[in-house]
Amino acid sequence: MSGLLQLVRFQAHRDKLVLPLWVGGIAVLGFATATAVATQFGDTPSRTAIITVATSSPAFLFVRGVPDGTSTGAVVFFQGYAFTAVLAALMSTFLTVRHTRTDEELGRAELLGSTPHWRSAPLIATLVLAAAANLVLAGTVGAGFIAAGLPVLGSLMAGAAVGSVGLFFGAVGAVVAQAMPSGRSANGAAAALVGVSYLMRGVGDAVGTPGADLQHVTSSWISLLSPIGWGQRSRPFTAADPLPLLVLLAAAVLLASASVLVRERRDLDAALLSRRYGKERAGLGGGSLFGLTWRLQRSTIVGWCVGAGVLGALAGAFGPIVRDAMSGSSALQDLISRLVPGVHVDAVDLFITALLGIVGVLAAASGIQAVLRMRAEETEGRAEFLLSTPQSVERWLGANVLVAAGSAVLVTIAGGTAAAVGLGLSGTAPQRAGYLLPAALAHAPAAFVFLAVTALAFSIAPRLSVPLGWGILAVSLVLDQFGDFFGVPGWLVSLSPFRHSSAMPVEDFNVAGAIALTAVATALALSSVARIRRRDLTA
Amino acid sequence: MNALAHPIIESTELTKDFGRTRALNDLNLKVSDGEIHGFLGPNGAGKSTTLRVLLGLIRPSSGTVRVFGRDPWVEPVRARRDIAYVPGDVSLWPNLTGGEVIDLLTGLRGGADEALRRRLITDFEFDPRKKSRTYSKGNRQKAALIAAFARTARLYLLDEPSSGLDPIMDAVFRAEIQRVHQEGATILLSSHILSEVEQLCDRVTIIRSGTAVETGTLADLRHLRRTRFRVTGLTEPDRLASLPGIHELSIDGTSAEFDADAGDVPALLAGLSALGFDGFSASPPSLESLFLGHYGQATPEMQ
Repeated sequence: MSGLLQLVRFQAHRDKLVLPLWVGGIAVLGFATATAVATQFGDTPSRTAIITVATSSPAFLFVRGVPDGTSTGAVVFFQGYAFTAVLAALMSTFLTVRHTRTDEELGRAELLGSTPHWRSAPLIATLVLAAAANLVLAGTVGAGFIAAGLPVLGSLMAGAAVGSVGLFFGAVGAVVAQAMPSGRSANGAAAALVGVSYLMRGVGDAVGTPGADLQHVTSSWISLLSPIGWGQRSRPFTAADPLPLLVLLAAAVLLASASVLVRERRDLDAALLSRRYGKERAGLGGGSLFGLTWRLQRSTIVGWCVGAGVLGALAGAFGPIVRDAMSGSSALQDLISRLVPGVHVDAVDLFITALLGIVGVLAAASGIQAVLRMRAEETEGRAEFLLSTPQSVERWLGANVLVAAGSAVLVTIAGGTAAAVGLGLSGTAPQRAGYLLPAALAHAPAAFVFLAVTALAFSIAPRLSVPLGWGILAVSLVLDQFGDFFGVPGWLVSLSPFRHSSAMPVEDFNVAGAIALTAVATALALSSVARIRRRDLTA
Repeated sequence: MNALAHPIIESTELTKDFGRTRALNDLNLKVSDGEIHGFLGPNGAGKSTTLRVLLGLIRPSSGTVRVFGRDPWVEPVRARRDIAYVPGDVSLWPNLTGGEVIDLLTGLRGGADEALRRRLITDFEFDPRKKSRTYSKGNRQKAALIAAFARTARLYLLDEPSSGLDPIMDAVFRAEIQRVHQEGATILLSSHILSEVEQLCDRVTIIRSGTAVETGTLADLRHLRRTRFRVTGLTEPDRLASLPGIHELSIDGTSAEFDADAGDVPALLAGLSALGFDGFSASPPSLESLFLGHYGQATPEMQ
């Protein structure tokens, strides 16, 4: 037992910087949401107004979740829950994979495995750490809500909802780590499951049934396929029901036990999905930097494209269903025409626009990840080996930035094409289908800016490039989604590249914005190439 | 021999700081055309850092470096054109097979000699169809060695290349070194394995804490050091200690072992004869003793 505690302490020590950042960041986002709602929507009429608007917009429901009354707490939960839950889930999957498969891949597990612990002790220690981290997270998020003046019981319950989702995905990460051969692929697969969970909740909420008072939406059964949907069903500030959270916890215990059972029965380094043999000779381009870069990133890029494709297909296929659901309610129709007088914005368009916006975020993330691959190559010593050949470091950087940009474009194409096909198959408004590919592509320039900033960070401050790359994406996302809501000054909000993308098909294509973004991205990328020669390879 | 006038590698007062740590401190290193040069030092002495400077991957803090007469930081691609490098800690791309890694690295240098590639894979008993993540340290090292030797280079920079190889593979490695040496290539062999350097190298530079403390041929360096004597059947072992120039004496019954400085050997032999014994062996100074002398633990009085 003391050995287990020692392992937990050791793993916690390794995470002493990362975990507080995650927990603190998530709690701050929750607290900021709560104070923003309290100040901006302080009276019931204004809260009723925003909730009514949300109820009438499937896009809103898809992105944020279902409204559940007009109390301050309910509005806070509606605004903030889905994002916080996704962050808690990612925090937890990264945590468990980091201490399990990544350690195994890099040989650290072997060293620990030689000490007198039983085989699954490090895994159990990781699960204990994940549980502790999510307990602290639940408490911190709850405390933030209480500090913002929300009811105590509801606040604690909301914190518990976020923590339960986190814990569930911590266990998911532990299972995935048993199956995947490398830390990177395990992280990718686990993050994809988080994405699917968010999507299923989104679809379930978007096609949910609005209440007659337009202040509640009841999710459809689809959201029961999503752990994030289960957490939402706890309805902390309205009908505080712990049952869905208990289901999540039970599921987490089951998954965790499964991961321990698998670990007890498998060899170190063994994985379900691992091929031992491959081609004896390199294929076309196998002797070039560009070919290598493409080869290394291929499967990751395909993964991002599949994600964007699923999202796009949902947008296309579900758009018409969303409209049907709404046309059944004449009250909603009245509301929309009152809210947006003069201009007629179609509900399908709004829905598709919101989902293509997420495709744009995926494109940016895929580009950032592709650029940051260089950092892994550098720290793990492969860049040094590669650059002992007569190839310049500029070429290496250039090949990676080009593949990253290509990745961003491919992700938007996958999203846009899938949306067009989905809309076409659903049989409504096929004439608009052709419009969706350009609409998705319009998000590529913003993605270029993100990957170019990351490349510049890699050139100038390599050690900070990973937190900088992802941090800038997270901050831009928060500015874009919550900036106005938090009352952030306009100039600051406009720093987010997402603000300059055209939200097609609702908006027209902003030519100047696209050109400006591309020009900024090009300038940043060129300066990263110019700067890379000035620094040492820090492997 | 005017090779020394045109060295392949020349560093003068090379210094490299990483933050507050001084990795290289006024390092002077000269490697002539066509020689096998041993680069000897313990872990952390700065051997790998030196190789990275030579490859133009890191910038010297001060001092000058020339590889083929060029500054590798200013013209890294030109300097690396004729270099084959084997890193000390070989890290490969986990989802590429060994064969793909070899094709990649030789491809980036301009393409492998196909016949050579085939022969090396056979000689090193290497399975090129396996994914790199399944390779042991020795197999990763083999992949790097095959990639280095499968295309002819003028300069081979090898960082502890045989540390993961078994004795049979080590012999294959030595044969390859001899082959490229005969073809006129220059080899810089970094190592802390003394026998490796002793058997292969023409000249040696010993590095300690970022500074070259000794450089020269093995013969040059040997005169500095002691010969190891082993004597059995001594009639009066107690009187050994009174003989001139004896160090590190250990007596076990009638047998004794001790070291002696080269200059004291004639007088010592005469004294031994006078003492009387029935068995005698002397081993030449190994690089081990050279090494230990420089790094202190075994013979602190020699510092």
